[in-house]
Amino acid sequence: MKQRITYVVTEPESFTPEQISVQKRKNGNGDTFTLKGVHAAKEHRITLGLDELSQAPINIEVLKKWHELHIRWASDFPDSVTAPFTSRVSPGLHIFFTPSTEAKNPDLCRDIRSLFSDTYSPIKCTTSHETAIKIPMLSERFSMSTALQYYSPFSEDDWDASKIAEWFQNMTGADSSASYIDIDYDAISQAVIFTVVWSHAPNKKGWTESVYVPEDESTVEIGVLSHEPNTDPEDVQFGGFLTMLGRDDKPKPTRFQTPTRHYPLLTPESFNPNTTPKLSPLTYTTSINRPTGLHPTLTLTLPSEHLTAPDPTCKLHTYLTLPSALFIDKYQFSDPLFLTSKNLIALRSIAGATDLEAPDWVVPQWGSASLFELASPSSSAADTEASAPPSSGDWNVSIPLHLRYLPASPTPHTPISIPWPVVFWVCRADEGEKHSLNPFDRKHLGYEALFGPKTRFMHVQPARERGADEEYKRLVETIDVPVLDTQKAGMVEMGTVGVVVLAFLGLCWVLFGKVGGKEAADKMKKKQ
Amino acid sequence: MALSSFFRSPPLVFTTATLLRAIFLLYGLRQDANSPMKYTDIDYFVFTDAARFISYGQSPYARDTYRYTPLLAWMIYPTTWLGTFWFSSGKILFAVGDVVAGWMMYRILREYKSLEKERALKFASIWLLNPMVATISTRGSSEGLLGVFVTALLWAVLAKKMVLAGLLLGFAVHFKIYPFIYAASIVWWLDEMKTGRAESDVKSRVQGSTLDQLLAFINLQRIKLAVASIVTFAILNAGMYQIYGWPFLEHSYFYHLSRIDHRHNFSPYNTLLYLNSSPGGSQSTFELERLAFVPQLLLSAVMIPLALAKKDLPSTMLAQTFAFVTFNKVCTSQYFLWYMMFLPYYLPGSILLRSRTAGLAALAAWIVGQATWLQQGFQLEFNGHSTFVPGLWLSSIAFFVVNVGILGVIIHDTRLRGERAVTAKKKKL
Repeated sequence: MKQRITYVVTEPESFTPEQISVQKRKNGNGDTFTLKGVHAAKEHRITLGLDELSQAPINIEVLKKWHELHIRWASDFPDSVTAPFTSRVSPGLHIFFTPSTEAKNPDLCRDIRSLFSDTYSPIKCTTSHETAIKIPMLSERFSMSTALQYYSPFSEDDWDASKIAEWFQNMTGADSSASYIDIDYDAISQAVIFTVVWSHAPNKKGWTESVYVPEDESTVEIGVLSHEPNTDPEDVQFGGFLTMLGRDDKPKPTRFQTPTRHYPLLTPESFNPNTTPKLSPLTYTTSINRPTGLHPTLTLTLPSEHLTAPDPTCKLHTYLTLPSALFIDKYQFSDPLFLTSKNLIALRSIAGATDLEAPDWVVPQWGSASLFELASPSSSAADTEASAPPSSGDWNVSIPLHLRYLPASPTPHTPISIPWPVVFWVCRADEGEKHSLNPFDRKHLGYEALFGPKTRFMHVQPARERGADEEYKRLVETIDVPVLDTQKAGMVEMGTVGVVVLAFLGLCWVLFGKVGGKEAADKMKKKQ
Repeated sequence: MALSSFFRSPPLVFTTATLLRAIFLLYGLRQDANSPMKYTDIDYFVFTDAARFISYGQSPYARDTYRYTPLLAWMIYPTTWLGTFWFSSGKILFAVGDVVAGWMMYRILREYKSLEKERALKFASIWLLNPMVATISTRGSSEGLLGVFVTALLWAVLAKKMVLAGLLLGFAVHFKIYPFIYAASIVWWLDEMKTGRAESDVKSRVQGSTLDQLLAFINLQRIKLAVASIVTFAILNAGMYQIYGWPFLEHSYFYHLSRIDHRHNFSPYNTLLYLNSSPGGSQSTFELERLAFVPQLLLSAVMIPLALAKKDLPSTMLAQTFAFVTFNKVCTSQYFLWYMMFLPYYLPGSILLRSRTAGLAALAAWIVGQATWLQQGFQLEFNGHSTFVPGLWLSSIAFFVVNVGILGVIIHDTRLRGERAVTAKKKKL
C-alpha cells in the first residue's frame, strides 16, 4: 500500500513551516507527521496492489471483469477550489469503463448496488450492457478514453450512506465530506488508486492532524505545497515541503513546475512572478426557466465582466450529463439564428439516450451526455464587428431540453433532478503530450476524451450562493414533472371503454336502424 | 354581390388559392430567415434530412423519426440542391398538390354532383381557400399531398377508370396506410354501376343462389380494381424493401403497429394508453385498449361502406375517414385534413347546411371541444400542470363524443338522402 497526502495551502501568506513537523521514533517505525492549523485543500491518494485488495470493499473478481474502470463521484455541495484541484464533473456518480475482452457479458450494475447500496435514491441500472452509453470516439486508433460511460445522480447523503464511504472514512481518518472522490483501476497497472479531495479543513481552524505509517511495508508521502506563479502559460508551479514518512527526519523543501491538462482559470495579473496566483472570480449559475412545462430550458448565467477568453485559442464549452427523464433534440441545433438567439455556437457531441419520442420507462440507458460550444461576449462581438460590448451585466446561455413521459404515479408530479453541467474554456496546449506526467493529472471525466491530446481545460467554477434558508444552494436543480395521477385515474379504464362501446353501439343503430320514420317523410311532403 | 361574382370565376378562385399559398410561403421564408421561431414544420426538416441522406447514397431511415415511404424523400429530392429556392421546392410541391386537389374537387362537384359553377367553386373553396389547409402545406407537411392522391382516386372511381383507381389506391395505401378503408366502399359501390345491366336484372339475381350472388359480386370492374391496387401496392413495397430492407418495413409499417402513443393527443384512448403502458400504472390485466382497432375498423372498413357506399360514395368516404380518425388510438390536428378533403362533396344539400342550427351547433361543438382540449394541453405542456386526469381525459372524451355525434348526423343524413334519391327515382319511373 502506498499513500500520498498533499495539502495545498489556501492562505500562503499566513503559512509558516513551523506549522508542520516530523516526530521520529526508534527505527523509523511509527514516525508521525503533524500539522497544526494549516488552511489547505487536501488530497489523499491510496494505491493498493491487487494482492492488497482484501483491505478494500472492492472484490478482485469485480475488477477482473474490466480492462479499465474509473469511478468519479462529485459532491452536489458548492466548494471553493484550489489549484491543482480545479477540474470538475457534474455532481453525482460517474463510471467510465471498458470491459475486459476475456469476460463474458460482464455486468456492472450488481457491483454498483453492492458498493453504493442505494438507500436513498434508486439507481437506474438494469445491466451495464444496456444502461451504459458509448463514448463517441475521436479516433479508434489513438483513443485514450474508455468505451463506456455510466452515470447516476448520487447526492452527498447517498454517498455518506454507502458502504464504500465507511471504508474511505476508516482509511483517511476524515469525517468531513469530500469534494470529489476518484477510484481508478486498469488491468495493465494491476493496481487500484483511491483519491479523495477536500476543498478545506473540516473546521475554520485549519487542518490539525497527525499522519503515521499504518504498517511495515507501506509508504506514506506527504506534501505541503502552495501554488506559485509561473510565466509559462501552460505550466503550473508548486513550492513547499515533501516528507517520506519513516525515511525523512524533517520536511524537505521542494519546487516543481509541470504542464497541466486542467489549468486553473486565473486573474490576468497572476502571471506576474511576484504575486501569488489568484483564481478568476468568474463563476456560473444554472437555472431552469419556470414554469418548466414539458420543455424546460436550462440557462447558464455568467457575469460578462470576467467572461473573456484567457487565451486567443480558448473556446467556452459546457458538458451536460442528463438523466434519461430529459433529452436533447439534436436537430434543433442546426439553425444559426436559433443558436445565436441562445448564445450557443454548436452542439459538438451527443451520446446516449437521444430517442425523441420514447417515454422514460422504455429507455434502457441512464441518459445522455452532450458537449456544447458556447458563444461568449467577445466571440459574438468579433462576429458582428460591433463596438466592444458592455462589460457589465450577465451573459445568459440557454439550452432547450425536453421531458420524457414518466410513469404514472399516485401523485400528480414526480420530481427529477438535473445536475449542474460543467463549464470550461478549451484551449490549445502545445505540451499536451506531457500532461500525464503531472502528479495531479486527472483524466476520464467524459469530456476530455472528446478533444485531441493537445488540449487543456480551464474550468469555470459554479457560484456558491446561499438560498433563502442561508444554506448553500446545491448544484442540482429539481423540477416537478407532471405525470398521470393514478389516484384520480380509477375511472379512466372503464370510462373510456364504456364511452367507446356506447358510441359504437349508437353508430350501429344510426347505420342499420330504421331511417327517418314518419317525421322525416312528413317533412319531405311539406317541403314538396 | 362582389363575393358572388368572385365565386363565378374559376380563374379568380384558383389564382386566389395560388396567391394565398405563395404569400404564406414567402411569409414563411421571411420568418425562417429572421426569427429563431420557425414557420417551417419540424416534419419538413425530417423529410429534407431524409432526402439528403438519399443524396449521399444512404437510407432515408438514417434520419430519426422518418416514418414514411422512401418515395416521399425521393419526391422532394430537389430540396437537397443548394439554395433556399430548392430547399423550399418541397413546400411548393405540397402547395401545388393542394391546388390540384382543389381543382379536382371542383371538377368532381361539377361532373358528378352536377353543381352549377358558382356552388361548385364555393364548396371547393372549403379546401382551396382554407387557411388551415394552405398553412399545413406551406409549412411543409405532407398531409396535403395525400389530398391529391385520394381526390384523384375518387375521381378515377367516379369516372370508372378502374385500373387508374387501383394504381392510385395501391399507391395511397403504400404512402399512408389508412386509405385501405376506401377499398371496401369502392368495391361495394361498384355494383351500382354494373355497365349495361338493367335494374330488374339485379333484382332477379338477389333471389338467386349464393353462388350466383357471389358470381355477380365478382364483376370486371372489381377485378380490375383489386388486381391493379394489389399489384401496385406489392410492387412498391417489394421495390422499397429490395432497396432499403428491413428499416423500410420497420419504420413505415411496423412502427405504426407497435407505437405506444403515450403522448397527449386528441384520441379518447390516450389517457388509457399512458396509464396501461406505464409501469405501475394500471392493475388491470384486460388490456382492453388492445382491442381499440376493432370498433375502428368495423366502422370505417366494414359497416359504413356496407350501409352507405351504394347511396353516395364521396359521403361514405367522408364518414369512413371521420370514423377512422375519431376512433384512432392517436389523433392530432393534421389528421383532420384527412376528412376535410371530403367535406365539399357531402355538404351541398346536407342537413348541416339546410338547418342553420344543426350546422352551427356541430361546428361550434367541434371547435369548443378542440379548444377545451387545447387549453388543458397548454396547461400541461407549457405550465407543467398535471392535467392528465381529469382535465385532458374528460376533454378528449368530450371531443370524441362531439365527433361521434357529428358522424352520426353525417351517416343518418347520407342514408336519408340516399333513400330519398331512390324514392325520387321510383317516382320518375
